[in-house]
Amino acid sequence: MDMFLTVIGALNEGFLQTLKLFAVTLIGAVPLGLIVSFGSMSRFTPLRWLTKTVVWVIRGTPLMLQLIIIFYIPGYLLESGSPWPSGESGRFLASAAAFIINYACYFSEIYRGGIQGVPIGQQEAGEVLGMTKRQIFFHVTLLQMVKRIVPPMSNEIITLVKDTSIARIISLQEVIWAGYAFLKSSHGYKGLLWPLFFTGVYYLVFNGALTLLFNWVEKKLDYFR
Amino acid sequence: MAILEVDHIEKHFGPTKVLQDISFDLEQGQALAIIGSSGSGKTTLLRCLNFLETPDNGTISVRGELLFDAADPRTQLEKEIRKKRLHFGLVFQSFNLFPQYTALQNVTLARELLAKERGGESREKIEAEGRELLAKMGLSDREGHYPCQLSGGQQQRVAIARALALHPDILCFDEPTSALDPELTGEVLKVIRSLAEQRTTMIIVTHEMAFARDVADQVIFMDGGVIVEQGEAHQVIEHPREERTQQFLSRYAEG
Repeated sequence: MDMFLTVIGALNEGFLQTLKLFAVTLIGAVPLGLIVSFGSMSRFTPLRWLTKTVVWVIRGTPLMLQLIIIFYIPGYLLESGSPWPSGESGRFLASAAAFIINYACYFSEIYRGGIQGVPIGQQEAGEVLGMTKRQIFFHVTLLQMVKRIVPPMSNEIITLVKDTSIARIISLQEVIWAGYAFLKSSHGYKGLLWPLFFTGVYYLVFNGALTLLFNWVEKKLDYFR
Repeated sequence: MAILEVDHIEKHFGPTKVLQDISFDLEQGQALAIIGSSGSGKTTLLRCLNFLETPDNGTISVRGELLFDAADPRTQLEKEIRKKRLHFGLVFQSFNLFPQYTALQNVTLARELLAKERGGESREKIEAEGRELLAKMGLSDREGHYPCQLSGGQQQRVAIARALALHPDILCFDEPTSALDPELTGEVLKVIRSLAEQRTTMIIVTHEMAFARDVADQVIFMDGGVIVEQGEAHQVIEHPREERTQQFLSRYAEG
């Protein structure tokens, strides 16, 4: 029983880090993705191409590689050494930066599809009624776009929950790191296999809750078509 | 003086000339019907009047005020156009109601945003007027319904109320019944007819010839981007002078 409580305590601590990375990524990537999507739809061609190239590179290379580059490369290039604080906080900041950039690019493409999926007639109706571009976006297009993107976004967000485990590559002490530690040596235990498997329960439960939340949002937006 | 003066409007899409040398006047309180086959440029003309398209040539004036001059870029600044387009209202073929708002909210949204910007009108006043407009359209019992809960005819009547809410000088209709089942066109035409009786200045692009004849004061027949014939409604539709108009109308008579 003692062992069980010790393991759970350590896994909880790891999962807290997982949740933190998940939340910070969402808070950063949801708005940043919108800015990126505007860039990729810009009528100013150089900006459009620059944005599309960035999205291509970020989506075309592994997140794990991006994490390694963001965490290690600045330390090699800068004379002042790594800009990241030492210890867990530095690993967390680097992870958050990599995850936000990566997910903003994925979100931007979902947003773009959502915005372009709203019929042009909606925009024209707003224009004819004397609304500004801004008013049309916030009062007409936005909610219709949100309705369209809920299913693909929920997919992406559930993937994000699991992707946070990739931060283990730079030794972020998230839940899988904590579970794996019991295999090697942690809290006086060694060679424990089950804590690693048990981390799956955390993901399952959390993603189950998220699925319910997204279903609820979808239902809430069911009143219009 | 004419409320609307359109002079020498031209519009190209690439090498295709969609509108050529379009000129006409419209008097206050009159209804103008524009007829012609698909692709004749009728809809593009309405879209030019509502600043959804920018003509390549020509001028548009309302009440003697020059609103648009293709030769003068100052008349084409986005901020200016926003104010000017409020002279016109447009009812679309496909309604284009905002699906996430109720019938009443559709009618009041633009007025409320405008009031928020400029101050003045209270929300209560705007809502009361919106209710009144919906009542005029025979939709008092549908105020709280969302567009997806309304029939096509009801949606189009909400769209008419939405356009009227901003008190345009000239109300434009782009084939307002073409997207409707035949049994629903009647209720929309009835509303437009009553607007004509109240001397609302209107431009109606339509395929309903009998309706154009009975409701409009003036008729313009367009073909291939030019005005082929214009004149008093009964005269143009019953005794067209031009051969092309005669051909077009006889095809309609055959059904």
